[in-house]
Amino acid sequence: MITIQDLKKQYKDAVVLDVASLEIPKAECFGLVGNNGAGKTTLFRIILDLVRATSGRVLLDETDVSKSEDWKRRVGAYLDEHMLLSYLTADEYFETLRKIYNLSEEDLEEHLNKFEELFNDEIRGKKKYLRDLSKGNTKKVGIAAAMMGNPEVVLLDEPFENLDPSSQVRLKKLILQEKERSQITFLISSHDLNHVTDLCDRIVLLEKGKVIKDLHDKSSMVEELNTYFGT
Amino acid sequence: MMLQLIKLELLKTMRSTSFAKSVLVALFLGLLGVILLSYLLLLGFFLKEVVEKGFNQPDAYVAVSAHLIYFFLAEFMYRYFTQKLPVIELERFLHLPIRKSRIINFLLARSFISPLTLIAFLIFGPFAFKEVMPRFGDGAGWSWLFCILFTSWSLHWLMLWFKQKFEDSFTGLAVIFVVLLLGVGSNYYGWFNIGELMKPVFDYSLTSPVPVAVMFVICIALYRLAYSYYYQNAYLEDLAKDEEVKFANSSFGIFNRFGLAGELANLEWKLIIRHKKSRTYLMLAGFFLLYGLIFYTNPAYQAEAGFSHMFIFVGTFITSIFMLQYGQLFLSWNSANFDFFLQRRGGVEALVRGKYLLFVVTSALCFLASVPYVYFGLDILLIHIATFLFNMGVVIHLVVYLSLWKPKPMDLNKGAMFNYEGVGIAQFLMMLPIFLGPYAVYFPFALLVNQYAGLAALAITGLVGIVFSPYLSSLPVNKILKNRYEISSAFRQEL
Repeated sequence: MITIQDLKKQYKDAVVLDVASLEIPKAECFGLVGNNGAGKTTLFRIILDLVRATSGRVLLDETDVSKSEDWKRRVGAYLDEHMLLSYLTADEYFETLRKIYNLSEEDLEEHLNKFEELFNDEIRGKKKYLRDLSKGNTKKVGIAAAMMGNPEVVLLDEPFENLDPSSQVRLKKLILQEKERSQITFLISSHDLNHVTDLCDRIVLLEKGKVIKDLHDKSSMVEELNTYFGT
Repeated sequence: MMLQLIKLELLKTMRSTSFAKSVLVALFLGLLGVILLSYLLLLGFFLKEVVEKGFNQPDAYVAVSAHLIYFFLAEFMYRYFTQKLPVIELERFLHLPIRKSRIINFLLARSFISPLTLIAFLIFGPFAFKEVMPRFGDGAGWSWLFCILFTSWSLHWLMLWFKQKFEDSFTGLAVIFVVLLLGVGSNYYGWFNIGELMKPVFDYSLTSPVPVAVMFVICIALYRLAYSYYYQNAYLEDLAKDEEVKFANSSFGIFNRFGLAGELANLEWKLIIRHKKSRTYLMLAGFFLLYGLIFYTNPAYQAEAGFSHMFIFVGTFITSIFMLQYGQLFLSWNSANFDFFLQRRGGVEALVRGKYLLFVVTSALCFLASVPYVYFGLDILLIHIATFLFNMGVVIHLVVYLSLWKPKPMDLNKGAMFNYEGVGIAQFLMMLPIFLGPYAVYFPFALLVNQYAGLAALAITGLVGIVFSPYLSSLPVNKILKNRYEISSAFRQEL
């Protein structure tokens, strides 16, 4: 699904990302972990073509993401609040996306119903702009938006951050359901080792921009990560 | 402690992003400010001569005193639009172990250090020395001057309270409107003369210290008013109120016919009415519609045959002031959520086309609203039609294309006046083609054939531009897509 070749990002002398090769197959749940400044968000941004790679490229099913725009319909993402329209209410925002994605009102309703439990009656039907929502609720809106329009790939940066414990569990359930149902390829970065190892079949550990571990074995990954992070 | 606060304030100015990032712009603006202030001082020195010779008044003192109230009405207006509220600063200090009273006193005092404080002194100080003191004695002169200064400074404190309490509310707008009406109504239509009403107060100050004392007390009282209002409301929830969704359903119905671009034009409209900065721009566009009243009625611009060349410029402004002002900062308005558009397929294109649509619609509305100017002659209507077409066909593309030269991020929730966030050299340079463009087309025909040929040339050029606009509007789209990484990282403030 996603192929990364000789990817490098450099700000002046500082190399922030240096990934020789990485292959993410379809329907994989790909977890990305690493300390602050390891390059997780930069990698996501380059995959989404929001940041220019210094060298190398990202291919999505053979197309270079920086060369065309057609792939954008197939990829959903929520990295930060720059991807929201903060001056709209949640309902208006979903409505806007519905028009952009050409969905019917029933499609939207069906999609949002999946999030009913996660939203916990705090998102829809509220007369509050997104910029005035709490951080956790903003995140929920962003995640629901990222999964809209039947994307094949979904990128989430720190989806568990700022969520309350019950919302975290609900979100996990939701992601697992979606993965089963529609074969979505998830790319998730997180600092929460428990959640990310529960969800993902594969964990990649970044350190100073380099892939230093690529773990596939679910039984041993928790231990290995704990040793690395000293937890 | 006070010293520490002052030091922080200085550091903030030195390190503010707009100052550090574009020293050139800051220097230019500073220079502009100094020039403006020195003009005022010059006016002050020659006020006597200006009043006596320019306006044919026999007695400069009487004329000035009788018109002082208009100065204060004007001061009320410019203070309303330009004076900054210090509350934004409050947030940074509230959690620290500093007494609230001290913070608020500091912030209020800080707000007083501003060029606005000097204006009254620059104009009336020299006049007091040159005219009032020799005629009525030194004591009388000082007393008269201080009476004026205290009135001006009272307005400062009054405005701090008034703006904090009523800005953006209906009451605020109503008061502003009444003040405008007072000034215009009494002056132009002679319903009543408030100038004569207030003159005795200033005359009295020549012979008695009572008016000065009263004004001083009022000044202090208004300071206390502002102080206690800020003190009582020094809570985060009061400072940054969550806005109620007021205009949730307001949108332009006609946009829906234009597909995705129309949808984004609607979004942009929501952006405009939900942010302070853009709302002010919108309000200014309303005021600028009245701009014509100044020029079209002014005898200085009445030509013997045809119309003054100056009117082309006035027409350009009236018919698309909103497009000119808002368009200058074309992408900066979306700086907080540019990634949203980048991440959609065709998002940038729809965004740009949506903006074009919005510009055309608002300009058309301005044009329609300006039709009543036909009262001043059919020529005016012709000028408006020609400049409107030229704006839609040519100027719009110039503005949009030039605005894409290094767009900068900005915070839409700050006021618009003297807020140069998002403004760079491009925004200044852009003024040239906006001013000169219409004349470059108009003058050759106006001077060689006649003025109406000039207007026709403007209209035809505009129409040609409109015909080619599908192509012309794709240029900025391509430019944005080409520079997308730079723009989006500048908007994320990474550079």
